Amino acid sequence: MKDGKTLMNFGAMNRRTLMIGAATGLAVSAMPKRLFAQAAPTLVTSIRSLSNPYHAVWKTGAEAYAKFAGLEHVTLVSEGNSEKGIADIKAMLAKTGGNMVLNSDPNDTPDARPIVEACKAAGAYVVTQWNKPADLHPADFNPNYVSHIEFDGVSSGQQIADILFKAIGGSGGIIALGGQISNTAAIERKKGLEAALAANPNIKLLDFQVANWKSTEAFDLTSNLLTRFGDEIKGIWAANDDMGVGALEALRGEGLAGKIPVVGIDGIKAAVDAVRTGEFAATITSDPFWQGGIGLALGYNALMKKFDPASEPPEHREFYGKVVSITKDNVEEYYKTNVEAQPTLDWNDLWGRVVGQIRT
Amino acid sequence: MSINSETMKPVTNLERTSAMHAAFSRFFQGEGARRLRTFAPLIVLIVLCILITLANPNFIEPRNLIRIANSSAVPLTLAMGMTFIILMGSIDLSVEGALSVAAMVLVLLASNDANTNEYGWLAVIAAIAASTLIGLMNGIIQTVLRIPSFMATLGVWFIGLGTSVYMLGGSAVRLMDNSIRSLALERFLGFPFAVWVALAAFGLAVIIQYHTRLGRHILAIGGGEDVAELSGVNLKRVRITAFAVAGFFFGIAGVLAAAQLGQSNAVIADGRLFAAVTAVVVGGTALTGGEGGVLNTLVGVLIVTVLANGMVLLGISPYIQQTVQGLMIIAAVALSLDRLRLKIVK
Repeated sequence: MKDGKTLMNFGAMNRRTLMIGAATGLAVSAMPKRLFAQAAPTLVTSIRSLSNPYHAVWKTGAEAYAKFAGLEHVTLVSEGNSEKGIADIKAMLAKTGGNMVLNSDPNDTPDARPIVEACKAAGAYVVTQWNKPADLHPADFNPNYVSHIEFDGVSSGQQIADILFKAIGGSGGIIALGGQISNTAAIERKKGLEAALAANPNIKLLDFQVANWKSTEAFDLTSNLLTRFGDEIKGIWAANDDMGVGALEALRGEGLAGKIPVVGIDGIKAAVDAVRTGEFAATITSDPFWQGGIGLALGYNALMKKFDPASEPPEHREFYGKVVSITKDNVEEYYKTNVEAQPTLDWNDLWGRVVGQIRT
Repeated sequence: MSINSETMKPVTNLERTSAMHAAFSRFFQGEGARRLRTFAPLIVLIVLCILITLANPNFIEPRNLIRIANSSAVPLTLAMGMTFIILMGSIDLSVEGALSVAAMVLVLLASNDANTNEYGWLAVIAAIAASTLIGLMNGIIQTVLRIPSFMATLGVWFIGLGTSVYMLGGSAVRLMDNSIRSLALERFLGFPFAVWVALAAFGLAVIIQYHTRLGRHILAIGGGEDVAELSGVNLKRVRITAFAVAGFFFGIAGVLAAAQLGQSNAVIADGRLFAAVTAVVVGGTALTGGEGGVLNTLVGVLIVTVLANGMVLLGISPYIQQTVQGLMIIAAVALSLDRLRLKIVK
């Protein structure tokens, strides 16, 4: 019996504690949101992985901005898993009570919608990059969905093609290595190459092969293409630097490195080094350091009411960012400011790299 | 190598003759159909070469043959290790993990652009040792913890990959040691050194399979584990050694891959597992174990490489190349095994 009584008392105590707890909770949640907003917001970066150089630099940029703004910064890594990416963001929203700024590179196109909806519901400010469904628009989620940033693959593909054509003297045959067949970036970059070819009738595209973004596949494909076309190949266009580096190593094995120029996109270190030695004609970078910082900067400024997203023009809500091309002319300077040291960017210049509204 | 030395004791003459006899009998005895089936992969390879040559005579240019040999170097070395595991009726999914660890250890210890190490060829030994250790780990997990090789090696794959991603800090580290890079860039008798290394690995694999007790015990386990055990084969020891030998081959492949690409990154091993298993199976080694061998695998690797080379030479659209590869795998497997003889297909 005694045991039973203790148990009952224990239950009663608990009930009382529960009531007090519930009352406190109610009182807190009844307080105006403004009280919380006065606490410093958390900056959150959501990226795919840290195992590729691109996102590793992205994180450095995010940390640089967090230091500039004097705020706490958290990096969430989805490891290519959409569910994990979204769940981590929701957990972060719950933890911060919505008092956060999110800069997200959604793992997959459909992911952007649940991420934006969760942020809107919690009152957090969000910027997405690269991936979002075509019918998801920042203007429909004022003011929380600040902006969406992409880079024009068509113009990048065309830009490096033009540099390559100039490097081989305006005429001759080239081979091209593309990314995964169904990938948007791969399709756009190829379109850019085709546009450049149409404008330069003296350049002949000998063959277009798919190396799935990988240097190992590009290495084997380039060897095989050398057999098929031999001396006809005057230049190599690669849809990313990793494949360009694979092609370059295949050329090196044949003693052709530096004689056949290669171009790529992304601006990875090996490619920048190759531009310095003259083996690459050019590479292009979307500047992940800037991407990592500017997404947080846009969200933070919107949260602090420095500007009102709702009254910004459409080309500030869904825009293409400016890419930086690295060629022989500017590689030494780029190397000094971006590879040997951390770049110093003006984070107050929010719209300086907008090149235009995203095509629909 | 020291790990294997114990089990690679020379066999007596009597044992050798019977081993050779067994190998020969596979080729020259039995019904005509069976013999044809044994040679099916080789016939496929020859027909493939003839067809591609007819369509594009550039194929038999010495320069192209050298390129094919060069492209085969890494897959051949990998597939040698894989063959022993598949012969046992097991599977080793840790190929990509082991290869990336070997490449990672190599670039971080040899001179590179991320730290100041300069251990030269010691880095090569360390890389192969690291990969052998991973193989050993596979074997021990499988036999001591009694976890099926599929799950054990799947786990080890991710452990290896994770370790190398962590150590490389997510970026590509370049290999600056010229003597190691010369494996891919310097040539001997027209072929890059990488090809000679791969051939040496092949020679070693042939010796292990046909001239050591380990090789015959592996085949025995694949043919019927319970019978092998009753005949006095130490299952645990053979399994652990076989996985370590496989890791040793994966390590060599990792060194060659890093030397060829001049760098190591997290994705250096992407797709290698599939390529290795395809080559082994296309060569006519049964996934159920006990049937086939390293000679088959050599043919399998060449089929896969020649096909990839040929499709580019013929200008086949990249959009249908994968389809052709898939058809090829099914055709080769259908030709090389007597499907009617199989009791169970799962």
